Amino acid sequence: MRSGYYKETIVEHINLTDSTLQRAWIGIGLLLVIAAPFHFEFYGLSLITLMMITAIGAMGLNVLTGWTGLISLGQTAFMVLGAYAYAISTESWGWPPLLGFVLAGIVPAIASVIVGVPSLRLTGLYLAITTLASAFIVNHLVLEFDGLTNGSSGIFVNRPVIFGYAFDTDAKFYYLTAGFGILTILACLNLRRSRIGRALIAIRDNDNAARVMGIDLRAYKLYAFVASSFIVGISGALYGIFLSFVTVDGFPFLLAIEALAILIVGGMGSIAGAILGAVFLVGLPEVTSFVFSWMGSSAQSLLSTSAHEIKGLLYGLIIILFLRLQPHGLMGLWQDARRTWTLWPLKY
Amino acid sequence: MTQKLLQLRDVTKSFGGIQAVGGVTLDVNRGEIVSVIGPNGAGKTTLFNLISGVLPVSSGSISIEGQDLARVPGHRYVRLGIGRTFQNLALFKHGTVVDNILVGRHWRMKTSVLEAALHFGRARREEIAHRQKVEEIIDFLEIEHIRDKVVGTLSYGQQKRVELGRALATDPKVLLLDEIVAGMNQEETEDIARFILDIRDELDIAILLIEHDMHLVMDISDRVHALNFGRTITEGRPQEVQSHPGVIEAYLGHKTEDAAPQDARAAGGLA
Repeated sequence: MRSGYYKETIVEHINLTDSTLQRAWIGIGLLLVIAAPFHFEFYGLSLITLMMITAIGAMGLNVLTGWTGLISLGQTAFMVLGAYAYAISTESWGWPPLLGFVLAGIVPAIASVIVGVPSLRLTGLYLAITTLASAFIVNHLVLEFDGLTNGSSGIFVNRPVIFGYAFDTDAKFYYLTAGFGILTILACLNLRRSRIGRALIAIRDNDNAARVMGIDLRAYKLYAFVASSFIVGISGALYGIFLSFVTVDGFPFLLAIEALAILIVGGMGSIAGAILGAVFLVGLPEVTSFVFSWMGSSAQSLLSTSAHEIKGLLYGLIIILFLRLQPHGLMGLWQDARRTWTLWPLKY
Repeated sequence: MTQKLLQLRDVTKSFGGIQAVGGVTLDVNRGEIVSVIGPNGAGKTTLFNLISGVLPVSSGSISIEGQDLARVPGHRYVRLGIGRTFQNLALFKHGTVVDNILVGRHWRMKTSVLEAALHFGRARREEIAHRQKVEEIIDFLEIEHIRDKVVGTLSYGQQKRVELGRALATDPKVLLLDEIVAGMNQEETEDIARFILDIRDELDIAILLIEHDMHLVMDISDRVHALNFGRTITEGRPQEVQSHPGVIEAYLGHKTEDAAPQDARAAGGLA
């Protein structure tokens, strides 16, 4: 079996793809993304759109938690800020949506500097709690400044019109989201193969050695925080448009836990893992309802009466199972499978 | 002509009431291999942590090429030419050998976050140029066969060699090696000894070595600096230091009739 490709030049090591086969698979993947709206109806399409938005947010969190090893429970705050930055600038001020998206990245990025400078001296649990606190502060501020944010009644958000083109149907909005998704993937892949990405991973693996190599720990932790918040902010704006309504209630604290669960299920530190995890966890309720309906009417009525509890239960169970059995997540499973396939029938 | 490269003057480090390094004065000149020896807990690694900017000094001064390091933040020491390896492997274990050594090139590269995200122009050119440099180091250390392996899967001896490569990638003027041959067999040790001599002679990098392997120390050092309880016992040529009564005492202890005074001394040294 083929176990890899022979590389002769440095450029081949830097390039994102290493073979025609790989490029072919990416092409097929892109075709599937383009073809999806022709096959799926309203509900299926909105589910895939939601998966994409979630994947963008998960990739954002991955920069901070997966690469740099800093656990944040406050990324929902940056989603909220992104969503409100977009909603206020486009709906209340009438700015063009493209500027709204830029603002949806920049506002959370600036906020993350304010949160990050004092709190990034901390690590582990302490940082998690500090960022959690910042999430509550942001929610409170949004409710407090109701002149700007409309308080608890929220802001209605229209589908965007960019350069005269209206993304007004579900399919068009889906394509817009897919575009943002692809941009995010490319940006993350590029960061990962640069000195910046290597520095972040160096900080996670061994901060003392990283400093001796000349990496300014405080600056790079802040870079990671800012980049993460920028991406998460964009996903927040998309989520706001998806719901067509931005309120604080649209971004419950459970999202922060869900985001960490996505990274654990997908595989910490892996971009593909963040995407797989997002698809898995967003798709999970659908699979559950399918299984319950297949099990008969009594199971179905149980699901309809206590859907929320079952969802929580399943999240918990899946996180425990992955941490216990496959800490490298779905990406770990995939790599194991690939290794087995390459080496079969011998063990090694 | 000897040129002063690294100069330590009366360097002291205290943790609470414990003085880990007490008034060490030490020079490393260009083209020299200097070894620091001493029993466990003598303060050798603490001394390295001070020189490489991991810990701040309590008093005294460290300078390289005449520039005082007192006001230089820890992550900028590398820019002044101080590279090091760690006693217990400090590699980035999820990265490949190439990735690890590339981190050593970090401070030489200038790509910003935005350029990196776009991977365009300078970002790409710079990446290629520095990977070229990394390949040279891989050639030099004869680790071509493991260049794409994830570091965590390598043997201890190989990992040590990768760490040496990462330190070399920082373009040091003086290289601090903390027990680089610990846990290696005879053959691996001899390989490393050859590399150390090559690094000095071909790459013109001075070397400061912490080592317990006395054969290695006596073979390759120009000078040996002996520490005990954070204080200098003696410094000089390998043979002189080896036969110095203070050094023998530090390693082997007093004769039995002197046992009591030694205990008193030990207590005094820690206070």
